[in-house]
Amino acid sequence: MRDSDALDNNPHVSRSALEAIHSQVYGWAFSRCDFDHANAEDLMQQAYVELLSGNARFDNKSSLKTFVFSVVQNLARSRFRRLSSRLRLVKKYHAEAVETSAELHEPRANDDVWRAVRALPARQRDIIELVFCRELTVEEAASVMGVSTGTGRVHYDRAKKALRQRLRHWADEE
Amino acid sequence: MMQEKNTKLRDRVSKGWPPATENEPAFDAVWLAARQRHATLRRRYQRFAGVAAMVAAAFIVLYAQSPSQKTYIEVADLMESTYWTAPSDVLLPRREFDIYQDMPAMFESTEPAGGTLL
Repeated sequence: MRDSDALDNNPHVSRSALEAIHSQVYGWAFSRCDFDHANAEDLMQQAYVELLSGNARFDNKSSLKTFVFSVVQNLARSRFRRLSSRLRLVKKYHAEAVETSAELHEPRANDDVWRAVRALPARQRDIIELVFCRELTVEEAASVMGVSTGTGRVHYDRAKKALRQRLRHWADEE
Repeated sequence: MMQEKNTKLRDRVSKGWPPATENEPAFDAVWLAARQRHATLRRRYQRFAGVAAMVAAAFIVLYAQSPSQKTYIEVADLMESTYWTAPSDVLLPRREFDIYQDMPAMFESTEPAGGTLL
């Protein structure tokens, strides 16, 4: 079945369906870009271009939300790879310039929960975000991250344990 | 019990997570920008495809003439353009003495030893 506002190169994706998940996808893009709004918006645009051009083709095998999250994740990864190789080059010749220009967007750095989340390894942090904040199941989150469901579950369990421990530890300290 | 602990943790984390909604761009704006980017990319691709097609057509017209076209060649020109040399045995293996084919020239002995010629 084809929606009236379905995309030409992606018949299973419609503009209205994308609009419905826009906020959640933006939240995901926002954290992929180290909480930088301009980069997140650019990443969203790029993801939509991939959908419009049919380079990222949705075949209805998963939910649209999972699919778009995966597209954002892959784009962010390739962008990060490109940037890190450029950064390595720049660092090689202008080390001090990088030190001064690198700016980390760290929101709510003093919040306990946020501190505990930031201390987690990247994969555990990702799965916690996807399940707790973006309302995906562990299976969907694992597919967005490109790992098996079993691996996803292991990351999820370890992340929960580590979070509980850290939060309890900090509460005891206070 | 476990479920309750999970729900509590989920609530704490989702509340502590940095909100993205403050500066969230409107869907229409992002969509419009994406469409424009897509159109620009497509135009660029079409332009590149057009130029590539023209270059290919020019190449075919200039260089790839049909092979069946017949032209007259002077016999003298043809003879001058070719040469012939006798085959050489430089690359053949060096000829060695073959006991079965080549009998050595025996000297005729004239000196007797013990009643017989050596």
